[in-house]
Amino acid sequence: MADFEPKIVSFLCNWCSYGAADLAGVGRAQYPANVRVVRIPCTGRMSPKFFLAALREGADAVWVSG
Amino acid sequence: MSKDVIGSVMVVGGGIAGMQSALDLADSGYYVYLVEKNASIGGVMAKLDKTFPTNDCAM
Amino acid sequence: MCTEKCPKKVVDTYNEGLRKRKAIYVEYEQAVPLKYAIDPTQCIKMIKDKCGNCEKVCPTGAIVYDQKEKTTKLNVGSVVLSPGFKPFDPSIFDTYQYSKFKNVITSTEMERILSASGPTGGHLVRPSDNEEPKKIAWFQCIGSREINRCDNSHCSSVCCMYATKEAVMAKEHNGPELDTAIFYMDMRTPGKDFEAYYEDAKENKGVRYVKSRVHTIDPITGTDDLEVRYANENGEIVKEQFDMIVLSVGLEIPPETVEFAGKLGVELTDNNFAKTSVFNPVKTSRDGIFVCGSFQGPKDIPESVIDASAAATAAGEILTESRNTNVKIAEVITEINVDNERPRIGVFVCSCGTNIAGVVDVKAVAEYCETLPYVEFVTNNMFSCSQDTQEKIAETIREKNLNRVVVAACTPKTHEGLFKETLLAAGLNKYLFEMANIRNHNSWVHKETPELATEKAKDTIRMSIAKVALFQPLKEAELQVNQTALVLGGGLSGMTTAKSLATQGYETHIIEKSDKLGGQAHNLLKTVQGEDVREKVAELSSAIDSDDKITVHLNSEITDVEGFVGNFETTISGDNKIEHGIAVMATGASPYKPEEYCYGQDDRIITALDLDRKFMDNDAALKDMTSAAFIQCVGSREKDRPYCSRVCCTHSVDNAIELKKLKPEMNVYIIYRDIRTYGERELLYKEARELGVIFIRYDRDNKPSVEVKDGEVIVNVTDHVLGRPLEIRVDLLTLATAIIPNRDEKIAQFFKLPVNDSGFYVERHAKLGPSEFATDGVFLCGLAHYPKPIDESITHAQAATSRAVTLLARESIHTNGEIAVTSPQNCSSCGICVSVCPYSAPSFTTAKGPNLGRAEINPVLCKGCGLCVASCRSGAINHNGFDTGQIYAQLVNVKEAV
Repeated sequence: MADFEPKIVSFLCNWCSYGAADLAGVGRAQYPANVRVVRIPCTGRMSPKFFLAALREGADAVWVSG
Repeated sequence: MSKDVIGSVMVVGGGIAGMQSALDLADSGYYVYLVEKNASIGGVMAKLDKTFPTNDCAM
Repeated sequence: MCTEKCPKKVVDTYNEGLRKRKAIYVEYEQAVPLKYAIDPTQCIKMIKDKCGNCEKVCPTGAIVYDQKEKTTKLNVGSVVLSPGFKPFDPSIFDTYQYSKFKNVITSTEMERILSASGPTGGHLVRPSDNEEPKKIAWFQCIGSREINRCDNSHCSSVCCMYATKEAVMAKEHNGPELDTAIFYMDMRTPGKDFEAYYEDAKENKGVRYVKSRVHTIDPITGTDDLEVRYANENGEIVKEQFDMIVLSVGLEIPPETVEFAGKLGVELTDNNFAKTSVFNPVKTSRDGIFVCGSFQGPKDIPESVIDASAAATAAGEILTESRNTNVKIAEVITEINVDNERPRIGVFVCSCGTNIAGVVDVKAVAEYCETLPYVEFVTNNMFSCSQDTQEKIAETIREKNLNRVVVAACTPKTHEGLFKETLLAAGLNKYLFEMANIRNHNSWVHKETPELATEKAKDTIRMSIAKVALFQPLKEAELQVNQTALVLGGGLSGMTTAKSLATQGYETHIIEKSDKLGGQAHNLLKTVQGEDVREKVAELSSAIDSDDKITVHLNSEITDVEGFVGNFETTISGDNKIEHGIAVMATGASPYKPEEYCYGQDDRIITALDLDRKFMDNDAALKDMTSAAFIQCVGSREKDRPYCSRVCCTHSVDNAIELKKLKPEMNVYIIYRDIRTYGERELLYKEARELGVIFIRYDRDNKPSVEVKDGEVIVNVTDHVLGRPLEIRVDLLTLATAIIPNRDEKIAQFFKLPVNDSGFYVERHAKLGPSEFATDGVFLCGLAHYPKPIDESITHAQAATSRAVTLLARESIHTNGEIAVTSPQNCSSCGICVSVCPYSAPSFTTAKGPNLGRAEINPVLCKGCGLCVASCRSGAINHNGFDTGQIYAQLVNVKEAV
């Protein structure tokens, strides 16, 4: 398990977390490259179907932020 | 008479006040010349870290 | 590249000289325009004709050394001056040793040290040894409220708050054990939500406030620490050590602005601010020239933003007849029909100079993209956002007959709009576009792992391609903006807004509750500059009465509001319906009626407005008095009313001066907590002290008491200098009472407007949107926003006008195309969408036909959040731009990555 690197799919709200991830870039914060971002208009758009789809497609973890 | 009035405005200084004024005028149907002596606009506000009282980032 | 190769290092003025930059530079990462510039005073090539490195390395040949200053002559209708301020330079003070001690810095330097983009990368360390400080002191009023060694008699208005903020931020950076002490004279936090911020800093964050002016800083030998000596509240001399001292420098007008004003013939005040009047606060002494920001007077960001919009109104009012005569109209290009076409996707991979290409292998990414389905064309650009690349993209779209576009570059938050414009220019529907963020979310944050970053870029673009392939052209609803305005409230703010809107050609209705226009202004004697308020109100009222574009509805209230931005329908008393495009809330405020200090028990105990009334009536009794007192903060800055009412200090000081002028031998006392005569109002405070007005300070836990005994009014208060109780017998006691907003939940609900705990309206943005609401088409000004004096109310009214005109002038507005749409045939009329939508966009259709009773979504009200889409149990709602199938396509394309 020590080498285990989870593959993460993250759903980011366009108005806050997506912008925050942009700012993390502006501030050159460094983090691992195993996150794939799906921009959503608002976490209100988040549906249980998207969690399941992400897991089905092989994600180890799903992260919703907004 | 109306031909004598020029529908454009010059705004001197591209800090927060100058930028807002220029935007409002442009959106109201006037041609705006925004004049700034530095290489970029933003003025003093762009140098600030956070702003009170909301602690928002000044950028 | 040019900056990398430039050998010349120059002091970085953006970072207050705390680090060096090159002679060819951009000021900072987010600078607008984000273009490199050469500093002609420093460039070796330009001074000595040597070097020339940047020209050699620039891949686009953008370097021109012999660019000369050009004089351009502009003919304009009006001018707005916003040249700003200069932070005071404290080098002249030998007591504070700013030039001598490294760890004595200015507050502007502190801003850069605290900033993540600053010279220390946001680590709070002191300059001498880069160690984290344990104790920091702030000294207030450096270069403000002083005329002995600097000429700035004004209060700079912003320093108390920024010092408090810096102290709070410093503690956030280095932990709560960091000791922060602010040495001040009066704590001036009269802005909206400032008092609560100050209380929180003091009570919860542990910022220490010491009321004292430090007179000496001494070095401690062998260390870089500093010792300060000051007199504490008990008059004892205290010594204390600090690791670092921040000088809270004031705002002043630089000499070049003074010179410039001289050339323009714009008159200045004694402190070099532009001279304006209370009723024309953004108009300079020269016709056609207006002023905003700190050149108008020292002020903070929201006030500058309010000023700016007000100046735009003033500058625009005189040009109304030439509106839209000088603007450039963007060419409209007919949209190509792409219905039923197989997707032909163009992918543009951006290098962003070295920002992306320095980490991500853009060539490999581009090659990979060519292998993906539906991709017709791939290229790599140096800077995708540059003007020439934009033209190239548009050209490519036309040449290759592309019908979908992906740009892999920075963030859609800043650049989506630009690329959408490019699509429009090429004749494509602008919604056939998607951005893949391979800079902010990739190259910038995965510098150490370029291979993984390249893989991630491929995945991100693949996901975007899959999504864009499913995009359909979207239509935006176009909506005519009704050119009539409705102003709620006929006080000074409402009247000013209405008059200005009418001057600019818009029909305006004023709805006023009472039987006359003027509001609270009727109760005020004169302005700080001595102008007669009632005279001005009468002038404005008659101007409004004779203006045929303004309809005044007295004794009227709103009973119902329907519609939305551009098309409101408001019903007022008497069942009158008014159709209007915008609304302005100028509902004002009222004076607090005190229950404390024996108010109502004796005729000699009155409120500030009662005293104004006595002056107006030339009450002869005023002259016979031998002693008068004012008590400040009556009902303000209390636990249940935690805001400062802003105007009362100046009002009392002004009236105290009047009393002294009436009868110099009268004893006049002002019993206060902090005197908040901000800006050039400070001069009144100075005048009052010179005339012999006696100021006695109290604090919230030790208030004065008042008794009426044996026919006498007696005020008991502890003197802060002597530390002894005083008993003052007065002939008149004026209570400086709080300002309370005219709270009306009904109106707030009608227009969906938020109200804070104190009852003031909450504006769209505390800093950048002070004159409008988050609700489109509704604007805000005057006391309903926050207590403010007449000049600021007028400025705010003009600002609200400007914001409203930007909407009215467009005549029609487009809504966003990325919204939810129902398929009525799938709708089961369950009503979930209707109940979950925060914007009331879905409703059951009432039109007869097969869809009667099924949900439909008003495209104007929908903000595209997707809540209803996710909640719909019948799958009857589609989301343009974020449809379920499109998000699935992205997720399916995650697969290869995981």
